[in-house]
Amino acid sequence: MSVQPGPPAPPVVPVRPSLGRPRWGHQTSLFQLRQPAFWLFLAVVLATGYYTVTQQTLFQRISPSGWALSWLLLLLYALPIFAAVYLLDLYEREPLSLVVGALIWGAVAATTLAGFANEGWGFVVARIGGPEFASRWTAALTAPLTEEILKVAGVALIALIAVDEIDDVMDGFVYGAMVGLGFAVVEDVLYFIAIFGGTPSGVLAGFYVRVISSGLYGHVLYTGLSGMGIAYFVSRRHEATRAKRIGVALLLFLVAVFGHFLWDSPFLNFFPGHLNTVGDWLQIPLAAAIKGIPLLVFVIVMIKLARRRERGWLELALASEVGSAALTRQELGILLDPHARRRSRRDMRTRAGEGAARLLRRLQREQINLAMVRTRVELDDDPALVHQRAYCRSLRDALMAMPGAAPAMRPTEPPG
Amino acid sequence: MDLPPPPVPEPLRQVEIPPPGGPPAIAVGTLNPPPVPPAPSKIRWVSTVVLAAVLGVVVFGGYVAAGALSQPAGPPVSVAGVVRVQPLSGWELAGRFGSPPGARLSRGSGNLDFVALSFNGSSLDLVREYVNQVLEPGAEQLSVSKEAESVTLRSGLSGVRIRYIGLFGKAQASIEGEVTAIVSPAGVGAIFDAWSPEGLLQYVIDDIHRMIDRAQVG
Repeated sequence: MSVQPGPPAPPVVPVRPSLGRPRWGHQTSLFQLRQPAFWLFLAVVLATGYYTVTQQTLFQRISPSGWALSWLLLLLYALPIFAAVYLLDLYEREPLSLVVGALIWGAVAATTLAGFANEGWGFVVARIGGPEFASRWTAALTAPLTEEILKVAGVALIALIAVDEIDDVMDGFVYGAMVGLGFAVVEDVLYFIAIFGGTPSGVLAGFYVRVISSGLYGHVLYTGLSGMGIAYFVSRRHEATRAKRIGVALLLFLVAVFGHFLWDSPFLNFFPGHLNTVGDWLQIPLAAAIKGIPLLVFVIVMIKLARRRERGWLELALASEVGSAALTRQELGILLDPHARRRSRRDMRTRAGEGAARLLRRLQREQINLAMVRTRVELDDDPALVHQRAYCRSLRDALMAMPGAAPAMRPTEPPG
Repeated sequence: MDLPPPPVPEPLRQVEIPPPGGPPAIAVGTLNPPPVPPAPSKIRWVSTVVLAAVLGVVVFGGYVAAGALSQPAGPPVSVAGVVRVQPLSGWELAGRFGSPPGARLSRGSGNLDFVALSFNGSSLDLVREYVNQVLEPGAEQLSVSKEAESVTLRSGLSGVRIRYIGLFGKAQASIEGEVTAIVSPAGVGAIFDAWSPEGLLQYVIDDIHRMIDRAQVG
């Protein structure tokens, strides 16, 4: 059986030129030596890195077992979060060097600078309000602003270093969430050792309170949200006025600050004063949910909107390719729906085995890459585009040659 | 009954499978080598400088603002004519003691007691004596830091500093404090005892350090 591309078929979804052209075809690394922002990034990370290493060495000396357990537990938390955030961007995964750079900014630069900033502004709160007021409100009045500014500065630096990588708000969420994840992990180690005592039992208690009970609501969300604001400002230059872009970015930043403020303030505080009974321990995740769920829901809505827009871009980029050797109308329908993509691979695995499922995954990935090339070149017969079409076709031919693969290629239902 | 013939499997075709991890779209771009990145525009420079300035303001601005908010207020408080402390804004004289002569400056629940006495010995001896004769007799429980920290006042006099936490008198809450002892070459000893309910000292300690740093002894 041979599979030939069918006659040109109308695209599944009408083209929406108003979306503009994403720049998915561009990939930039962190190491842009000609960009002043790169050198600022490097200088701050190196300067604060020395402090961070010194601090971690001290923790390791104070409580070797507690310190090791802290990092072990936090890696168990951080690795799935890292993967989930990284994979959220369905169509164009961000360059790893930039993603790791964001993580390092949060873990090293933002945490260290925040330590100094919180102390300094804490003095201001104490001077103005006195010690009793300061004891209740310093955390709420300093950390949300200082920490969110210092964290989102990492996203802003990445935008200055590699502006081509910030195509839309989803990219801002990825970089922001990575900054927040790095910040959360290093801050948690500090809490486990300095606040929860650093013993293995103290570390476990800290892990329960700060990660199991509250891990969904913290810095990953705050900085993800403010990162979306930076990305909106950067990526909508041709669609929105400067005032609107500043307004949206500021609004998202303020929502993040407010979420952080609510978390640190005495408002809606249902955390138990003492941990004497099982009920007290069970109360912690409930109290955390009351403070954290509203922002979590808001961020989920924002992510869904961003993904819908990315899907629109994919449609736009591939519309002219439908019916070519590289892409059928049905395949585009599957590409646009992550669930349909997974379903088609599962179906392929059942019918033709693991190798065919892997090959189908490659075909889908290369068809998405085709969209990237399409956005990068101007001419329909650009050599890069022709090459990528041929590559996709060769993958499909190879797939069709595998026994049992052909029936599973036909999608059951193109998504609506 | 005739069964239908089993399906005949399709003959396998010889198709060359592209190498795993074959060139992603990005690599295809090597056909058109990427242009050399242009030199950063002026706006990139300006944005980077502005970002660096924002970082500076956030990190150091609090210290500057706090310094501006803690200006000396009112006349210096003098004890026995040999120890003088200039209260900062927000601090006020809450009382005086008789023997040895001393005074208390307060701000909310933050306090700074300071006394003056004649002393022949080192500042470490003085702080030990203060712990033994003043803190321990008045405490139900007392924990004192094992190591003394060296301090130097703006006037050049040096001394030592220790920290303590304990239950004193009928107070229900723990008190945390910090004692700084200074002995001048003329034999004037000064004790500065900063204290507050546990957990609150951190919010006044910067003020207290500034007042001690500017204090005149002898």
